Amino acid sequence: MNQMYGWVGKILRVDIGTGEVKTEETSKYVPEYIGGKGIATRIAWNELKPNTGPYDPENMLMFMTGPFTGTLVPTSGRGSVCGVSPRIYPTPWFTYGTMGGDWAAELKYAGFDAVIVKGNSSKLVYLWIHDGEVDLLDAKEITGLDTFVTQHHLKEKHGNRTQVVCVGPAGENRVLWSTIQHRLSNSIGDAGLGAVMGAKKLKAIAIRGTGGVKIAKPDEFIQICREMKEMIKGGPTNYPYPTNDLPYRNPIGPGNQQCSHGCPLGCGKLYKNVPAGITVGSGTRNMMSHCEDLAFIFGESATHYPTKEIKDNYDGDMYTRETKAFGDRIGTELQVLCEGLGLTSAFPINYYPWFWVCIENGVTEIEGIKLEPEDPHFWFQFMKKVACREGAFGEIFAEDLMRAVDQLDLPPIVKKAAKFQFPMWGQPAHRQGRAYESQPSPIWINTMLHWIIDSRDAMASHHQSSFVVGWFPPHNEGKGGTPDSNMEKIKAAYKKAFGTTGGMEHGFDNLDDKTRLAIWQDNRAQIKDSLLICDWVFPAILHTFSSRKEYLEAEDYYGDIDAEAKLLAPLTGLDIDTAYIDKAGDRIRNLDRAIHIRNYDRSREIDSTGEWVYEYPEKSDGTKLDMKLFNTILDSYYKHRGWDKTTGRPTRAKLEQLGLKEVAEELVRLDKLSKM
Amino acid sequence: MSSETISVDALKSGKIIHNPELCRGCKICELACSVYHDGVCSSHLSRIHVVPDDFALKFPAHICQQCHYPSCYYACPKKDKSMCIDSETGARYINEDECLRCGKCSRACPFTPSLIWEQNVDSKKRYYKCDLCRGRENGPICVEFCPRNALNFQSRGELK
Repeated sequence: MNQMYGWVGKILRVDIGTGEVKTEETSKYVPEYIGGKGIATRIAWNELKPNTGPYDPENMLMFMTGPFTGTLVPTSGRGSVCGVSPRIYPTPWFTYGTMGGDWAAELKYAGFDAVIVKGNSSKLVYLWIHDGEVDLLDAKEITGLDTFVTQHHLKEKHGNRTQVVCVGPAGENRVLWSTIQHRLSNSIGDAGLGAVMGAKKLKAIAIRGTGGVKIAKPDEFIQICREMKEMIKGGPTNYPYPTNDLPYRNPIGPGNQQCSHGCPLGCGKLYKNVPAGITVGSGTRNMMSHCEDLAFIFGESATHYPTKEIKDNYDGDMYTRETKAFGDRIGTELQVLCEGLGLTSAFPINYYPWFWVCIENGVTEIEGIKLEPEDPHFWFQFMKKVACREGAFGEIFAEDLMRAVDQLDLPPIVKKAAKFQFPMWGQPAHRQGRAYESQPSPIWINTMLHWIIDSRDAMASHHQSSFVVGWFPPHNEGKGGTPDSNMEKIKAAYKKAFGTTGGMEHGFDNLDDKTRLAIWQDNRAQIKDSLLICDWVFPAILHTFSSRKEYLEAEDYYGDIDAEAKLLAPLTGLDIDTAYIDKAGDRIRNLDRAIHIRNYDRSREIDSTGEWVYEYPEKSDGTKLDMKLFNTILDSYYKHRGWDKTTGRPTRAKLEQLGLKEVAEELVRLDKLSKM
Repeated sequence: MSSETISVDALKSGKIIHNPELCRGCKICELACSVYHDGVCSSHLSRIHVVPDDFALKFPAHICQQCHYPSCYYACPKKDKSMCIDSETGARYINEDECLRCGKCSRACPFTPSLIWEQNVDSKKRYYKCDLCRGRENGPICVEFCPRNALNFQSRGELK
């Protein structure tokens, strides 16, 4: 094989049921599928049988890196994990998650672009990957340990520079909202893949590598990295609010860690110097918290409130209640427990208001446990019971809210409220403008399109698409929103990128521009999860700002939407331009769509599942839609995607244009290709 | 041996100073260093190592201190051919072409762990040591790329 640059060249395949270890060449999949989620999607199309359940030995848990991982590219160092997730509701299906930290870079330094784990072990084991070698080891000594102690133990055993991903008690017990955890607070959370690791009886993966990632054109690469670092140096969180005195919006402070290997940014993070009582090694350890973590939610009161007029339109059933502030210390301690048990730490955003809907509709206890969301002890107990599946209460909520309400006898309004908090795919509401954050038009139209065609909460990997005015609600001027003059600058940047500002106009005009923009962003999200880079910054339609002042005063907001291609070309030495990047993103999305059509009969009907949520008004500007308008938007989206309007299936022409002829052939054989 | 009896005939060197209070463990310094020197990005094949304690959130780093009395230089059997002193910056640096790969410099380093580290690259022993990016127009690349100003270059002239 020729020398590879960017990719390290090998994919590790481990069957932990039989102990068989194989490798295959990464060159089978690149550059067409880029890396990360792209390669995982191709492998899933090739190998994942339609009836594979999340806990079946045939399910693959794929730990992926991309060509950027472990390099100087700013915000690289991320990895993704893909597989069939039990958390997806009602049908567990193939999905993905991404996280930062150091493990993905270390995996490449150990000589592998990915590790694909198949099979279920009969006893708890962990993988020890070191410089091209892999050992399957007994995990008896770390059974039942929390995520911090597990990592600490494996670092003591294999050396301090070993990087560890693991599950805590929650993952071992197959809790549907358990995490795959790394360091203090990097995790694959909402994807629900911690439960798959638990089902495979894979406690951890410990990685140590002393190799590197070869760069094709180092001088050119360094130069481009410098330019991109300069473009994004302000960071995505340093300028949205008029004052910087909100602790969770402050730039990264002392005793805090960069969230990802190779990231130059100082994102706003809550850091409280609270002795959090993590008993790892010696001494009292600290904790760090990201946006929407428990310390964030309960430390400060964080839920966005709808205005009174809009709240009244919610029929009193779905309203969002502001979370109670328990203070920094309790917030942090709750978070320590959560990350230690290996539970996804944004859960109170959706559980807290739902418990209140229960109480206000006469449901004051469930399975003998009194609901007391205003009492921190309730939350400590809730997490412990869930992680250990303790009692009927723990068992029920270990299945997450959607499956819990299916099992419980509750008033219809309480069940509906659960669906409002988990509107699609059993995933918690996020950037839809209804349940949690406000997201004024046109941004919620855009985020809705990401949600309805993705396999999970799309916004965890499409943040950038909602930042532009999502951060800065235009209606909110004077309260931290975007002044009109700045909206004009934002639109000018869009004009520069796309030749039109239609996608950014308020309301429901210019629908074709809006759907085309959503498609572009979604394709780029596939690229971002394949390269991998941070979705808070890329694709960079806008550059970032170091301060509010800089944001208000800057003239030109445009970032650089060619950044990905400019970086990938000198890194790999391949002739890659933006057109290639856009097409590759389109290819990955269409292949993902093909998997969902082949394996799960994904259809227009399924895509429309969550339409009802958008019939409620957006929390800040009151805009909403009905079925007719929704269908108009979806027609436009499918049309520009090259998908069949009635079925939502890709057309043959679309698949062939993307070099997916054999995919089209298989869909024909199964009678699942668009007839158009 | 007391300090008064040491005869120092080596040119003084500038050095890179790492401030763990400002460091947040992003490791960009390692990546910039390794790609500049060897065209490879790696946290291990670099001449600076950040070694965070991920739970204590402390970020110490290891980098050659360019000692006033360079034990490594004196220990080298091919002094001035293999272990050399840069006439411009004063950097004590390894000339790969002449290096015997004997490891005496690494063992002579007064720091623990040694700040000249041995790595096996393509089944060959190599020694990694900070050379202050000698000859580079903008000075050490790690200092230039550090996003937190946790690295500072103190040139020969600035030394007290």
